[in-house]
Amino acid sequence: MPGRLTPSQTIGPFFHAGLQWQGGATLFAAATPGRAIRISGVVTDGDGQPVPDALLEFWQADPSGNFGAPTEGSCAGFGRVMTDDSGRYEIQTRYPGAVPGADLKKQAPHILVVVLARGLLHHLLTRVYFEGEETNAGDAVLASCGARGETLLAKRSPGTDDAYAWNISLQGPKETVFFEC
Amino acid sequence: MRIRPRPADVNPKLLSPAYTSTVKRAPARPPLVLPQGASEISGPRFDNSVLYPSHDDLTRQCEGEPLGERIIVTGRVLDENGDALPSTLVELWQCNAAGRYHHDKDNHEAPLDPNFKGGGRVITDAQGRYRFTSIKPGAYPWRNHPNAWRPPHIHFSVFGKSVLQRLVTQMYFPGDPLLAYDPIFNSVPEKARERLVSRFDLEVTKPDFALGYRFDIVLRGPGATPAN
Repeated sequence: MPGRLTPSQTIGPFFHAGLQWQGGATLFAAATPGRAIRISGVVTDGDGQPVPDALLEFWQADPSGNFGAPTEGSCAGFGRVMTDDSGRYEIQTRYPGAVPGADLKKQAPHILVVVLARGLLHHLLTRVYFEGEETNAGDAVLASCGARGETLLAKRSPGTDDAYAWNISLQGPKETVFFEC
Repeated sequence: MRIRPRPADVNPKLLSPAYTSTVKRAPARPPLVLPQGASEISGPRFDNSVLYPSHDDLTRQCEGEPLGERIIVTGRVLDENGDALPSTLVELWQCNAAGRYHHDKDNHEAPLDPNFKGGGRVITDAQGRYRFTSIKPGAYPWRNHPNAWRPPHIHFSVFGKSVLQRLVTQMYFPGDPLLAYDPIFNSVPEKARERLVSRFDLEVTKPDFALGYRFDIVLRGPGATPAN
Protein backbone atom coordinates (compact mmCIF):
# COMPACT_ATOMS: atom_id res chain seq x y z
CA MET A 1 0.00 0.00 0.00
CA PRO A 2 2.68 2.63 0.82
CA GLY A 3 3.49 4.74 -2.18
CA ARG A 4 0.39 3.71 -4.09
CA LEU A 5 -1.12 7.16 -4.41
CA THR A 6 -4.72 7.26 -5.57
CA PRO A 7 -4.98 9.10 -8.89
CA SER A 8 -7.19 12.14 -9.32
CA GLN A 9 -10.33 12.31 -11.48
CA THR A 10 -12.58 15.18 -12.54
CA ILE A 11 -15.47 16.30 -10.33
CA GLY A 12 -17.67 16.17 -13.45
CA PRO A 13 -20.64 18.48 -13.98
CA PHE A 14 -23.08 17.06 -11.42
CA PHE A 15 -21.33 17.41 -8.07
CA HIS A 16 -23.97 19.41 -6.17
CA ALA A 17 -25.38 16.45 -4.22
CA GLY A 18 -21.98 15.75 -2.74
CA LEU A 19 -20.24 19.10 -2.55
CA GLN A 20 -22.87 21.74 -1.78
CA TRP A 21 -21.57 23.64 1.26
CA GLN A 22 -24.00 25.53 3.45
CA GLY A 23 -22.68 29.04 4.04
CA GLY A 24 -19.62 28.27 1.91
CA ALA A 25 -19.34 31.83 0.57
CA THR A 26 -18.67 33.20 4.07
CA LEU A 27 -15.22 32.29 5.40
CA PHE A 28 -15.49 33.78 8.89
CA ALA A 29 -18.22 34.26 11.49
CA ALA A 30 -19.79 37.74 11.52
CA ALA A 31 -18.14 38.63 14.85
CA THR A 32 -14.61 38.01 13.55
CA PRO A 33 -12.55 41.19 13.90
CA GLY A 34 -10.61 42.61 10.99
CA ARG A 35 -11.36 44.23 7.68
CA ALA A 36 -14.40 42.66 5.96
CA ILE A 37 -13.88 42.23 2.21
CA ARG A 38 -15.71 40.70 -0.72
CA ILE A 39 -14.01 39.03 -3.67
CA SER A 40 -15.91 38.21 -6.84
CA GLY A 41 -15.12 37.30 -10.40
CA VAL A 42 -15.63 34.99 -13.35
CA VAL A 43 -14.00 31.70 -14.29
CA THR A 44 -13.38 31.40 -18.05
CA ASP A 45 -12.03 28.74 -20.42
CA GLY A 46 -9.59 28.93 -23.34
CA ASP A 47 -12.23 30.56 -25.57
CA GLY A 48 -12.98 33.17 -22.91
CA GLN A 49 -16.33 31.47 -22.29
CA PRO A 50 -17.64 31.33 -18.73
CA VAL A 51 -17.25 28.06 -16.84
CA PRO A 52 -20.63 27.52 -15.18
CA ASP A 53 -19.69 24.26 -13.47
CA ALA A 54 -16.56 25.10 -11.50
CA LEU A 55 -16.12 24.65 -7.77
CA LEU A 56 -13.71 26.96 -5.95
CA GLU A 57 -12.28 26.34 -2.50
CA PHE A 58 -10.52 29.01 -0.46
CA TRP A 59 -8.18 28.62 2.50
CA GLN A 60 -6.65 31.54 4.38
CA ALA A 61 -5.35 32.80 7.69
CA ASP A 62 -7.45 35.11 9.84
CA PRO A 63 -6.51 38.81 10.17
CA SER A 64 -3.99 37.91 12.90
CA GLY A 65 -2.26 35.36 10.67
CA ASN A 66 -3.67 32.27 12.39
CA PHE A 67 -5.26 29.31 10.63
CA GLY A 68 -8.70 28.38 11.88
CA ALA A 69 -10.35 25.52 13.71
CA PRO A 70 -13.67 23.74 13.12
CA THR A 71 -16.79 25.86 13.49
CA GLU A 72 -20.45 24.77 13.43
CA GLY A 73 -20.79 23.18 10.00
CA SER A 74 -17.48 24.41 8.58
CA CYS A 75 -13.99 25.65 9.47
CA ALA A 76 -12.88 29.25 10.00
CA GLY A 77 -10.98 30.46 6.94
CA PHE A 78 -12.41 27.81 4.62
CA GLY A 79 -14.78 28.67 1.81
CA ARG A 80 -16.37 26.78 -1.04
CA VAL A 81 -18.54 28.18 -3.82
CA MET A 82 -19.89 26.96 -7.12
CA THR A 83 -19.86 29.25 -10.15
CA ASP A 84 -23.27 30.27 -11.47
CA ASP A 85 -24.56 30.04 -15.06
CA SER A 86 -22.42 33.01 -16.06
CA GLY A 87 -19.29 31.56 -14.44
CA ARG A 88 -19.42 34.01 -11.51
CA TYR A 89 -18.56 33.47 -7.89
CA GLU A 90 -18.41 35.70 -4.81
CA ILE A 91 -17.05 35.23 -1.31
CA GLN A 92 -17.19 37.33 1.87
CA THR A 93 -14.14 37.14 4.06
CA ARG A 94 -11.58 39.10 6.11
CA TYR A 95 -8.42 40.64 4.77
CA PRO A 96 -5.92 37.88 5.61
CA GLY A 97 -3.02 38.36 7.98
CA ALA A 98 0.53 37.68 6.80
CA VAL A 99 1.90 34.15 7.23
CA PRO A 100 5.39 32.74 6.65
CA GLY A 101 6.49 31.12 3.42
CA ALA A 102 8.80 28.15 2.94
CA ASP A 103 11.78 30.36 3.84
CA LEU A 104 9.99 31.32 7.10
CA LYS A 105 9.85 34.97 5.99
CA LYS A 106 6.47 36.69 6.16
CA GLN A 107 4.69 36.74 2.83
CA ALA A 108 2.19 39.25 1.51
CA PRO A 109 -1.41 38.53 2.52
CA HIS A 110 -2.94 35.95 0.19
CA ILE A 111 -5.61 33.28 -0.04
CA LEU A 112 -4.95 29.80 -1.35
CA VAL A 113 -7.45 28.74 -4.02
CA VAL A 114 -8.27 25.24 -5.30
CA VAL A 115 -10.07 25.13 -8.66
CA LEU A 116 -12.13 22.11 -9.67
CA ALA A 117 -14.36 21.68 -12.72
CA ARG A 118 -15.63 19.32 -15.36
CA GLY A 119 -12.71 18.95 -17.76
CA LEU A 120 -10.09 19.32 -15.02
CA LEU A 121 -8.71 15.84 -14.37
CA HIS A 122 -6.76 17.22 -11.43
CA HIS A 123 -7.63 20.26 -9.34
CA LEU A 124 -5.58 23.43 -9.86
CA LEU A 125 -3.84 25.33 -7.08
CA THR A 126 -3.38 29.08 -7.12
CA ARG A 127 -3.19 32.12 -4.82
CA VAL A 128 -4.99 35.43 -4.80
CA TYR A 129 -3.14 38.57 -3.61
CA PHE A 130 -4.47 42.09 -3.15
CA GLU A 131 -3.87 45.18 -5.26
CA GLY A 132 -2.54 48.06 -3.21
CA GLU A 133 -0.89 45.85 -0.58
CA GLU A 134 2.52 47.34 0.20
CA THR A 135 4.17 44.04 1.08
CA ASN A 136 3.41 42.53 -2.36
CA ALA A 137 6.72 43.96 -3.59
CA GLY A 138 8.71 41.74 -1.21
CA ASP A 139 6.72 38.53 -1.74
CA ALA A 140 8.96 35.78 -3.11
CA VAL A 141 6.15 33.74 -4.65
CA LEU A 142 4.64 36.71 -6.43
CA ALA A 143 8.11 37.69 -7.66
CA SER A 144 8.66 34.16 -9.00
CA CYS A 145 5.68 34.67 -11.32
CA GLY A 146 7.25 37.62 -13.14
CA ALA A 147 4.81 39.58 -15.30
CA ARG A 148 2.24 36.79 -14.94
CA GLY A 149 1.99 37.65 -11.24
CA GLU A 150 -0.57 40.21 -12.39
CA THR A 151 -3.06 37.32 -12.84
CA LEU A 152 -2.96 36.70 -9.09
CA LEU A 153 -3.85 40.26 -8.08
CA ALA A 154 -7.41 40.96 -6.97
CA LYS A 155 -8.22 44.48 -8.17
CA ARG A 156 -9.94 46.95 -5.93
CA SER A 157 -13.38 47.71 -7.37
CA PRO A 158 -13.61 51.44 -8.12
CA GLY A 159 -15.40 53.51 -5.51
CA THR A 160 -15.35 50.87 -2.78
CA ASP A 161 -13.07 49.96 0.05
CA ASP A 162 -14.13 46.42 0.60
CA ALA A 163 -14.78 44.89 -2.83
CA TYR A 164 -12.17 43.17 -4.97
CA ALA A 165 -12.47 41.62 -8.42
CA TRP A 166 -10.45 38.55 -9.32
CA ASN A 167 -11.03 36.42 -12.42
CA ILE A 168 -9.65 32.97 -13.11
CA SER A 169 -8.63 32.18 -16.67
CA LEU A 170 -8.03 28.46 -17.11
CA GLN A 171 -6.29 28.86 -20.46
CA GLY A 172 -5.34 31.54 -22.99
CA PRO A 173 -3.40 34.80 -23.12
CA LYS A 174 -4.39 35.86 -19.59
CA GLU A 175 -4.04 32.36 -18.17
CA THR A 176 -3.91 32.49 -14.38
CA VAL A 177 -0.72 31.27 -12.76
CA PHE A 178 -1.26 27.80 -11.31
CA PHE A 179 1.20 26.14 -8.98
CA GLU A 180 2.77 22.76 -8.40
CA CYS A 181 3.51 22.37 -4.72
CA MET B 1 4.56 18.93 7.82
CA ARG B 2 6.21 19.09 4.41
CA ILE B 3 4.55 16.93 1.80
CA ARG B 4 6.55 14.82 -0.65
CA PRO B 5 6.60 16.04 -4.25
CA ARG B 6 3.92 14.63 -6.50
CA PRO B 7 5.25 11.82 -8.71
CA ALA B 8 4.65 12.41 -12.43
CA ASP B 9 3.26 8.98 -13.26
CA VAL B 10 0.15 8.74 -11.08
CA ASN B 11 -2.24 11.47 -12.15
CA PRO B 12 -3.85 12.09 -15.53
CA LYS B 13 -2.34 14.72 -17.79
CA LEU B 14 -4.52 17.83 -17.56
CA LEU B 15 -4.69 17.92 -21.35
CA SER B 16 -6.10 14.49 -22.23
CA PRO B 17 -7.81 15.19 -25.58
CA ALA B 18 -9.78 11.92 -25.60
CA TYR B 19 -11.75 13.58 -22.79
CA THR B 20 -12.85 16.53 -24.88
CA SER B 21 -13.70 18.91 -22.02
CA THR B 22 -9.99 19.08 -21.18
CA VAL B 23 -9.13 20.77 -24.50
CA LYS B 24 -10.41 24.25 -23.57
CA ARG B 25 -10.05 23.94 -19.81
CA ALA B 26 -6.62 22.48 -19.17
CA PRO B 27 -4.08 25.26 -18.56
CA ALA B 28 -1.65 25.43 -21.47
CA ARG B 29 1.31 26.61 -19.40
CA PRO B 30 3.21 24.38 -17.01
CA PRO B 31 2.55 25.07 -13.33
CA LEU B 32 5.08 27.22 -11.46
CA VAL B 33 6.80 25.74 -8.45
CA LEU B 34 5.37 26.94 -5.14
CA PRO B 35 7.58 26.21 -2.13
CA GLN B 36 5.44 24.87 0.73
CA GLY B 37 4.64 27.68 3.15
CA ALA B 38 2.22 28.06 6.05
CA SER B 39 -0.86 28.28 3.83
CA GLU B 40 -0.03 25.09 1.96
CA ILE B 41 0.99 22.87 4.86
CA SER B 42 -2.15 23.71 6.82
CA GLY B 43 -5.72 22.92 5.86
CA PRO B 44 -9.31 23.09 7.04
CA ARG B 45 -10.47 20.67 9.72
CA PHE B 46 -14.07 19.70 10.28
CA ASP B 47 -15.95 18.13 13.17
CA ASN B 48 -19.19 16.13 13.31
CA SER B 49 -21.26 19.28 12.90
CA VAL B 50 -20.79 19.00 9.12
CA LEU B 51 -22.72 15.71 9.13
CA TYR B 52 -26.48 15.52 8.56
CA PRO B 53 -29.13 12.84 9.17
CA SER B 54 -28.38 9.63 7.20
CA HIS B 55 -25.13 11.20 5.99
CA ASP B 56 -23.61 7.72 5.63
CA ASP B 57 -26.67 5.91 4.30
CA LEU B 58 -27.86 7.16 0.91
CA THR B 59 -30.76 4.68 1.01
CA ARG B 60 -32.33 6.43 4.04
CA GLN B 61 -32.39 10.07 3.03
CA CYS B 62 -35.93 10.14 1.61
CA GLU B 63 -39.43 8.87 2.45
CA GLY B 64 -38.95 5.47 0.82
CA GLU B 65 -36.09 3.31 -0.30
CA PRO B 66 -34.37 3.87 -3.63
CA LEU B 67 -34.49 1.21 -6.34
CA GLY B 68 -31.31 -0.63 -7.15
CA GLU B 69 -28.77 -3.05 -5.81
CA ARG B 70 -27.84 -2.14 -2.23
CA ILE B 71 -24.09 -1.77 -1.61
CA ILE B 72 -21.78 -1.09 1.31
CA VAL B 73 -18.54 0.68 0.47
CA THR B 74 -15.77 0.81 3.03
CA GLY B 75 -12.05 1.39 3.15
CA ARG B 76 -9.28 3.41 4.73
CA VAL B 77 -7.85 6.81 4.02
CA LEU B 78 -4.07 6.60 4.31
CA ASP B 79 -1.12 8.68 3.28
CA GLU B 80 1.60 7.38 1.00
CA ASN B 81 3.68 6.37 4.03
CA GLY B 82 0.91 4.00 5.05
CA ASP B 83 -0.23 6.14 7.99
CA ALA B 84 -3.96 6.37 8.65
CA LEU B 85 -5.72 9.72 8.31
CA PRO B 86 -8.24 9.88 11.15
CA SER B 87 -11.02 12.50 11.45
CA THR B 88 -10.84 13.50 7.83
CA LEU B 89 -13.90 14.48 5.83
CA VAL B 90 -14.88 12.26 2.90
CA GLU B 91 -17.68 13.46 0.61
CA LEU B 92 -19.27 11.34 -2.06
CA TRP B 93 -21.86 11.62 -4.78
CA GLN B 94 -23.28 9.41 -7.51
CA CYS B 95 -26.15 8.91 -9.96
CA ASN B 96 -29.08 6.60 -9.26
CA ALA B 97 -29.44 2.97 -10.32
CA ALA B 98 -30.81 4.06 -13.71
CA GLY B 99 -27.82 6.29 -14.44
CA ARG B 100 -29.32 9.68 -13.68
CA TYR B 101 -28.08 12.34 -11.25
CA HIS B 102 -30.44 14.24 -9.00
CA HIS B 103 -29.37 17.45 -10.73
CA ASP B 104 -31.31 20.08 -12.75
CA LYS B 105 -28.95 19.88 -15.69
CA ASP B 106 -28.78 16.12 -16.06
CA ASN B 107 -31.21 15.51 -18.94
CA HIS B 108 -30.38 11.87 -19.60
CA GLU B 109 -33.66 10.15 -20.43
CA ALA B 110 -33.58 7.74 -17.55
CA PRO B 111 -35.97 7.91 -14.61
CA LEU B 112 -35.23 10.03 -11.57
CA ASP B 113 -35.68 8.13 -8.35
CA PRO B 114 -37.73 10.19 -5.89
CA ASN B 115 -36.04 8.28 -3.08
CA PHE B 116 -32.45 8.94 -4.07
CA LYS B 117 -30.52 12.19 -3.82
CA GLY B 118 -27.08 10.66 -4.23
CA GLY B 119 -24.91 12.61 -1.78
CA GLY B 120 -23.18 11.57 1.45
CA ARG B 121 -20.51 12.61 3.94
CA VAL B 122 -18.43 10.58 6.36
CA ILE B 123 -15.61 11.37 8.76
CA THR B 124 -12.90 8.73 9.10
CA ASP B 125 -12.44 7.01 12.47
CA ALA B 126 -9.21 6.72 14.48
CA GLN B 127 -7.90 4.07 12.05
CA GLY B 128 -8.76 6.16 9.01
CA ARG B 129 -11.74 3.96 8.15
CA TYR B 130 -14.91 5.12 6.43
CA ARG B 131 -18.06 3.21 5.52
CA PHE B 132 -21.33 4.04 3.84
CA THR B 133 -24.41 2.35 2.40
CA SER B 134 -25.85 3.21 -0.99
CA ILE B 135 -27.15 1.60 -4.17
CA LYS B 136 -24.99 0.65 -7.12
CA PRO B 137 -24.92 3.57 -9.59
CA GLY B 138 -25.92 2.88 -13.19
CA ALA B 139 -23.96 3.52 -16.37
CA TYR B 140 -25.02 6.54 -18.40
CA PRO B 141 -24.40 7.96 -21.87
CA TRP B 142 -22.55 11.25 -22.35
CA ARG B 143 -21.70 13.40 -25.32
CA ASN B 144 -17.92 13.04 -25.33
CA HIS B 145 -17.87 10.90 -28.50
CA PRO B 146 -20.37 8.71 -30.40
CA ASN B 147 -21.90 6.02 -28.19
CA ALA B 148 -19.92 7.15 -25.15
CA TRP B 149 -20.94 5.61 -21.80
CA ARG B 150 -19.55 6.33 -18.36
CA PRO B 151 -18.91 3.17 -16.37
CA PRO B 152 -20.74 3.08 -13.02
CA HIS B 153 -18.72 5.14 -10.55
CA ILE B 154 -18.91 6.95 -7.22
CA HIS B 155 -17.25 10.35 -6.85
CA PHE B 156 -15.07 10.90 -3.76
CA SER B 157 -13.71 14.13 -2.27
CA VAL B 158 -11.14 13.84 0.54
CA PHE B 159 -9.41 16.60 2.52
CA GLY B 160 -6.54 15.15 4.57
CA LYS B 161 -4.63 17.38 7.01
CA SER B 162 -3.07 19.74 4.51
CA VAL B 163 -4.42 21.45 1.42
CA LEU B 164 -1.71 19.56 -0.48
CA GLN B 165 -3.39 16.26 0.40
CA ARG B 166 -6.68 17.32 -1.17
CA LEU B 167 -7.98 14.69 -3.57
CA VAL B 168 -11.08 14.37 -5.71
CA THR B 169 -11.44 11.11 -7.55
CA GLN B 170 -13.84 8.43 -8.77
CA MET B 171 -14.26 4.83 -7.63
CA TYR B 172 -15.18 2.19 -10.19
CA PHE B 173 -16.49 -1.39 -9.93
CA PRO B 174 -14.51 -4.56 -10.67
CA GLY B 175 -14.94 -6.43 -13.93
CA ASP B 176 -16.72 -3.60 -15.73
CA PRO B 177 -16.43 -3.89 -19.54
CA LEU B 178 -17.07 -0.14 -19.94
CA LEU B 179 -13.77 0.75 -18.24
CA ALA B 180 -11.83 -0.11 -21.39
CA TYR B 181 -13.73 2.56 -23.34
CA ASP B 182 -13.85 5.37 -20.79
CA PRO B 183 -11.50 8.30 -21.54
CA ILE B 184 -11.74 9.64 -17.98
CA PHE B 185 -10.64 6.34 -16.39
CA ASN B 186 -8.04 5.83 -19.12
CA SER B 187 -6.59 9.32 -18.62
CA VAL B 188 -4.79 7.79 -15.61
CA PRO B 189 -1.36 6.27 -16.42
CA GLU B 190 -1.90 2.57 -17.00
CA LYS B 191 -0.03 1.26 -13.95
CA ALA B 192 -2.15 3.36 -11.58
CA ARG B 193 -5.60 2.74 -13.12
CA GLU B 194 -6.49 -0.33 -11.07
CA ARG B 195 -6.13 1.80 -7.91
CA LEU B 196 -9.46 3.36 -8.85
CA VAL B 197 -11.25 0.02 -9.06
CA SER B 198 -12.90 -1.17 -5.87
CA ARG B 199 -12.67 -4.79 -4.76
CA PHE B 200 -15.71 -6.97 -4.15
CA ASP B 201 -15.43 -8.35 -0.60
CA LEU B 202 -17.63 -11.12 0.75
CA GLU B 203 -16.66 -10.14 4.30
CA VAL B 204 -18.03 -6.66 3.82
CA THR B 205 -21.10 -8.12 2.12
CA LYS B 206 -24.02 -8.26 4.56
CA PRO B 207 -26.04 -11.48 4.24
CA ASP B 208 -29.53 -10.97 2.83
CA PHE B 209 -28.91 -7.21 2.60
CA ALA B 210 -26.11 -5.65 0.54
CA LEU B 211 -23.01 -6.37 -1.53
CA GLY B 212 -19.73 -5.15 -0.06
CA TYR B 213 -16.91 -3.29 -1.80
CA ARG B 214 -13.54 -2.12 -0.51
CA PHE B 215 -11.82 1.03 -1.70
CA ASP B 216 -8.75 2.45 0.03
CA ILE B 217 -7.72 6.01 -0.72
CA VAL B 218 -4.04 6.98 -0.54
CA LEU B 219 -3.15 10.67 -0.27
CA ARG B 220 0.21 12.41 -0.51
CA GLY B 221 2.16 12.25 2.72
CA PRO B 222 4.96 13.94 4.64
CA GLY B 223 8.54 13.34 3.65
CA ALA B 224 11.86 14.33 5.18
CA THR B 225 12.17 18.05 5.84
CA PRO B 226 14.57 19.42 3.26
CA ALA B 227 17.74 21.03 4.66
CA ASN B 228 17.61 24.80 4.51
